[in-house]
Amino acid sequence: MSQTRVVAAVEIGTSKIAVLVGEIVGESKLSIIGHSIGSSKGIKKGEIKDLHLAGDCVHATILKAEENAKCRVEEVYLAQTGRHLKGDFNVGSSSVSSPDSVVQNIDIDAAKKDARRRALPSGRIYIHHIQNPFSLDGRELSNPSSKKGRQLQVGYWSVHGDSEVVGDSLRVIQGIDLNVSDIILSSLASGVVLLEESEKDNGALVIDIGGGTTDYVLYRKGYIVKTGVVPVGGDHITNDLSIGLRVSTKNAEELKFKHGRAYYKIEDRDEKVWLIGDFTIGDRQYPLASITRIIEARVCEVFDIIREQLERSKVFDPSYIASGVVLTGGSANLLGITEAAQRCFDLEARVSDGPIDVSEELRLPEYSTTLGLLRYALTGQEERQEEAKPVGIIGKFSDWLNFN
Amino acid sequence: MNKLTDTFYSRDGTSRDLKIKIIGIGGAGTNAVDGLKLDDLGDVRLAAINTDAQALNQSPLAEKLIIGRSITRGLGCGGELEIGKKVAESDRDALARMIADMDLIILVVGLGGGTGSAASQVLAQVASKTDALVLVFATLPFSFEGARRKKIAEESVGELRQLVHGLIPLPNDVLLQEGEEEDTSVLNAFAVADRWIGRGINSLCAMLLKTGLINQDFSSLSSVFKNRGGKTIFGTSTATGENYIQDALEDLFICPLLHLGDRPAKLDHILVNFIGGADLGISKVNEIMMKVGKRFGSREDIIFGAVIDESRNQSLELCILGKADMEGAGRPEPKQTPKKTVENGLQIETQISRDTRTPRPVHRSKISEKSSPKVDQDEFTFIENGGERGYFEKTDRNEYNNEDLDVPTYLRRGIKIKIK
Repeated sequence: MSQTRVVAAVEIGTSKIAVLVGEIVGESKLSIIGHSIGSSKGIKKGEIKDLHLAGDCVHATILKAEENAKCRVEEVYLAQTGRHLKGDFNVGSSSVSSPDSVVQNIDIDAAKKDARRRALPSGRIYIHHIQNPFSLDGRELSNPSSKKGRQLQVGYWSVHGDSEVVGDSLRVIQGIDLNVSDIILSSLASGVVLLEESEKDNGALVIDIGGGTTDYVLYRKGYIVKTGVVPVGGDHITNDLSIGLRVSTKNAEELKFKHGRAYYKIEDRDEKVWLIGDFTIGDRQYPLASITRIIEARVCEVFDIIREQLERSKVFDPSYIASGVVLTGGSANLLGITEAAQRCFDLEARVSDGPIDVSEELRLPEYSTTLGLLRYALTGQEERQEEAKPVGIIGKFSDWLNFN
Repeated sequence: MNKLTDTFYSRDGTSRDLKIKIIGIGGAGTNAVDGLKLDDLGDVRLAAINTDAQALNQSPLAEKLIIGRSITRGLGCGGELEIGKKVAESDRDALARMIADMDLIILVVGLGGGTGSAASQVLAQVASKTDALVLVFATLPFSFEGARRKKIAEESVGELRQLVHGLIPLPNDVLLQEGEEEDTSVLNAFAVADRWIGRGINSLCAMLLKTGLINQDFSSLSSVFKNRGGKTIFGTSTATGENYIQDALEDLFICPLLHLGDRPAKLDHILVNFIGGADLGISKVNEIMMKVGKRFGSREDIIFGAVIDESRNQSLELCILGKADMEGAGRPEPKQTPKKTVENGLQIETQISRDTRTPRPVHRSKISEKSSPKVDQDEFTFIENGGERGYFEKTDRNEYNNEDLDVPTYLRRGIKIKIK
């Protein structure tokens, strides 16, 4: 008989907390029964700075989502971001053991194990081991089973985080007596719902510019070859404007929202804009060019950092990123951001229309990460998408938590 | 108290005997002092200290001191702080002679190199043993000069601030924003800082040496800077033309130096001086005082000075100096005070020091009595989160390729932003 689980996908973002409640029936059916978005406090650059403040906000948002869903949440899938996350690409290999050189499961397991054997320094903890294609004597294969060859290799993109920081976010959820079933990188979660399968196969770079961080994931031939976090987000743009134009954070936010653009155009050179615009006393005129220059410098720097990180990992190859750059997150609404991305990456760029195959109501960029989490909650059980399935992390977390 | 100071704080407030020395230290400091154009030099003496004999020879100043001849043989320190320290220590006596019998010592230094960073500390130590009031204008290196220089500069600011009465940090990144030209060359960029220092020193000297419409003298300055340590703010603006008052005020309120990251949340003493032309009547002075007062705290808490320069017309120069004393402010004994320096970002440090010595007596002015540290200055909020790191002030450095990503990109890249 099919079993029903009520899971909540929780994204503790720097500017907002998003919760989706999903009901998973049996092995493959997921329906979304509740959702809510709450304000976020005590979080800077994607990491929790004030446990109590953040905890209260998270609890309030989960409660609201439970009300909306009219049922209690049983387990939580949690998104993770922050500068503490780092990744390594590890290659494992094994010699095909059988005398007739046919790859057997035992060889595959040996190669996988070899790739994941690298121990982390203390205080670090693996979040994901993301499998990349196999190679059998240099031939790239997605499934080498029963193929002939001698040397089998497999690569893993392994992401690890600071156990304290990860522990903080777990504690926030455990504070309301909920269990975290899994932790998933924000970038993975949004990537999985924003891209069509064909786009993943053609190769695409998803960049999620959030409030405090920018998360990215690069798909190549359908595999996730690199993820990353740049601890710079919309808050930085606001802060830059606040400093550059010497206005309060609130006013800077407003200027960004009303007049912000990420790509400088010569026509805007002499244009001036009002902050409030209804002749209120204290209102001031600002040169649009200055607003643009400040934002452009920041946005392009973030793109340049991503490009540099991809190049350093030798995975930046435009011919393998045919579907181009897909932008999402709050700051993706900035005018001219696609032009900026096109210029920085020399790739096609577009702003995502939001998650695909969901109802209109949930097709908001705010929910893309949480939708992805639910997708993981579902597929995680199926073992189908093994390349995306986090391996054994909860075992490690519980060990670590008990230890504390 | 020493005899000199007694004459000084005499009741008629004559400041003719005031001995002021402005000393440029190291290459950058000497350049800045060389370029000083003071309206009225009076008794102000200019001097330069460097390790690099050749550079010092080019300086037109009368009083020059080469330090560390025995160590560097008249060559520079090559940006090495350790060499700078050795050099400055070796010539401690010569430094002491240079600053003997002074009332006000203004040190001008570019931090981040060898000579300036090290010698300014030794000089400040020596000066702290005299009764002179010591102010420092310290430029901080551009981001493009590298993380190493920045680190040296940050540490020097922390050390120096303990030793002197007022330290005014001038981050070059920020000052570059102020030039007129779209693309400032590197040489011009350095000159921008010198101009700011010049304006500040000029305004100070004018206030001290000229008889003003609202006269302020050395005692007013001492009352603002009566304690060592603590943070200082400095801002200046200038305007000419029809709307010169409004323009100068606006210019002052958006002065980048008043929006720095380590700006104290609350000031204990504020001194505002303005230099205007003959047309600056009492009603206009009143207007300025009202508006400045409204912006920086209540009018009663601010010491105002106004100087009339007959040669000017429709012109106003404003200069604000503010000081936040440290907790339990007094006169910290240099080097022996327990201090805690928490490096946090570009040039931010928190200092805690305690002192048991009684504050040095200053003149009994109505104003200084009022300016107890308890003065309510909630109104002193330019921007709730201003600063080089602003909103991210209290978070960890966001290090990437030796840059702090929390500092606005445009500042680090030297992209000029017009704000009007």
